Amino acid sequence: MELKQAMEAATADLDVRPGFLGDVMTGGRRRHTRRLVTLTAVVALLAGAVAGGVLMRPSSPDDRASGIDPRLTAATAGNLSSSKDDVDRALAVWRTAQTSAFGEGITDFSMASHVYWIGTTDDGPAAVVVQPVRVTGSPDPKPLVGVVAMGRLVDREVVLDPSDERGRYDFGTAKGTQVVLSLGKRLFLSQDPVRGQDDRLTRQWRELAADASGVAVVSALPQSAPVFVRADSAPRPDDFTARPVRSKAETGQGRAFIPRTGLGWTLVNCKSESPQRTRSPVQAQEDLQRRALLDYLVSNDAAGTWEVCAWTPDGRFALAFEAFGRLYGALYTAEGTFSAGVVGGPAVKGTVAPVRLVLPDGQGTIVAEQGALIGPEQRETVWLAPAGTTEVTVVRDGTPTVVPLP
Amino acid sequence: MQDFEDFVALRSQALLRTAYLLCGGDKGAAEDILQDVLMSMYGKWRRIRSSPEAYARAALANSAANRWRRRSRKPEAPLELGAVPTTRGHEQQVVDADSVVRALAQLPTKMRAVLVLRFFDDLSEAETARALGCGVGTVKSQTSRGLARLRELMGEQVLTWN
Repeated sequence: MELKQAMEAATADLDVRPGFLGDVMTGGRRRHTRRLVTLTAVVALLAGAVAGGVLMRPSSPDDRASGIDPRLTAATAGNLSSSKDDVDRALAVWRTAQTSAFGEGITDFSMASHVYWIGTTDDGPAAVVVQPVRVTGSPDPKPLVGVVAMGRLVDREVVLDPSDERGRYDFGTAKGTQVVLSLGKRLFLSQDPVRGQDDRLTRQWRELAADASGVAVVSALPQSAPVFVRADSAPRPDDFTARPVRSKAETGQGRAFIPRTGLGWTLVNCKSESPQRTRSPVQAQEDLQRRALLDYLVSNDAAGTWEVCAWTPDGRFALAFEAFGRLYGALYTAEGTFSAGVVGGPAVKGTVAPVRLVLPDGQGTIVAEQGALIGPEQRETVWLAPAGTTEVTVVRDGTPTVVPLP
Repeated sequence: MQDFEDFVALRSQALLRTAYLLCGGDKGAAEDILQDVLMSMYGKWRRIRSSPEAYARAALANSAANRWRRRSRKPEAPLELGAVPTTRGHEQQVVDADSVVRALAQLPTKMRAVLVLRFFDDLSEAETARALGCGVGTVKSQTSRGLARLRELMGEQVLTWN
């Protein structure tokens, strides 16, 4: 056994724990904010020292809370803003939900909450609530923003950095109700992408009407593959590179462990097969999105966690991956320049050799199945079948099966 | 920061494998240093986004070395470092995968890092030298000694390398 094979075998079953991504993102933000705060404090101290005096007046909690987010002091907006009962009910739900689940590094929840917006939705009254909270790693209070509706907290987020605020709240109901905050930009929504004969996708965009307070209520069911974008102008129909507005669940944070989607493989053979390690699936996905071959990967689990690579007879290398339950491929020259994109068929879990991706220009077919022996040489897991191959033998658990190739 | 989030989502598993080997088979430590490295990359993302994997691997190697340095007064064996099994006695040099990790754990930190980066992550000698902040000559000598030591630990002919 080669050393590399032995190392790969020893690490084949390793995977990060559920919630790892969320922990990294939260910790990274917190650490970054802490560094900025420290830097700012050092600069302020130096400036004070140079000026010849340091002001040492402790401020009251109210002083500290004001000025951290203009929404905290804005008049309540929305068509139910004059209904004191609805406002009180929203605040009561908010307080109950928060006291039972601090989390997200919140250490102090004692400052007053404020209903920034309250209005009607298809799922009943909903309110956007803002409250200053103290969080670990930050000397100053930070705004906690959330939405309450249907007698519960829909979601919330601590806004450590205003430029990173998600501002989208998916109620998760059959009506697809969502509250989206414009945050000073225009809001656009696209649903139901269309794939043309040339495999290219297009999306039509419509602007969402946010009210004067920047809150938009919209219905968008997951089946329609909705994508929200916050921008100064609408993306072009063939532009799949804009930054989508994601709900908290779509980022993979704050939700229970969900088994891997799609084929569920952890297979990666590209380290040894690609000429440049820079050709990661992320870049292949971006390359396909730039060419309108791959849709927005809004949800964290839209793409699979496996990738396979193979050199082609004409000296290029191909990388195959899975997204939205379908196979995709990208070909690169030996120098790493993008050469062609491939949109394959569905990736069906449980079938023999579910990866059968025909490469363009007669370069053969990538056949893959994690743990199987494939082809006449019984290659482990991946085999590039030469062009013209009509069937291939796949051995799973000692049992050979002949499968046709497209 | 969505591309950072995508990077973490897609590459964490691969990086965890590297970290696991660098930590001599201590999965808890590997997850800890990986999380620490990724969190530190968050604030530097704009600077390192052109080659985040290279940065992550170098940082993992350094973190693993620092961890070992900190624990050097009270050495801790991540896996049971008993006698490393050698060959199973037949033709194809079958090796218990865990024995590779055990053998790696017995190597000095830098030597282990060189072998992991060279043979698991497929870095060239120059890339490995850059990642570890040492000279190419050091990488060459550490590679040669490391492979020889692995042979001693795992038995002649057990492992081959290209």
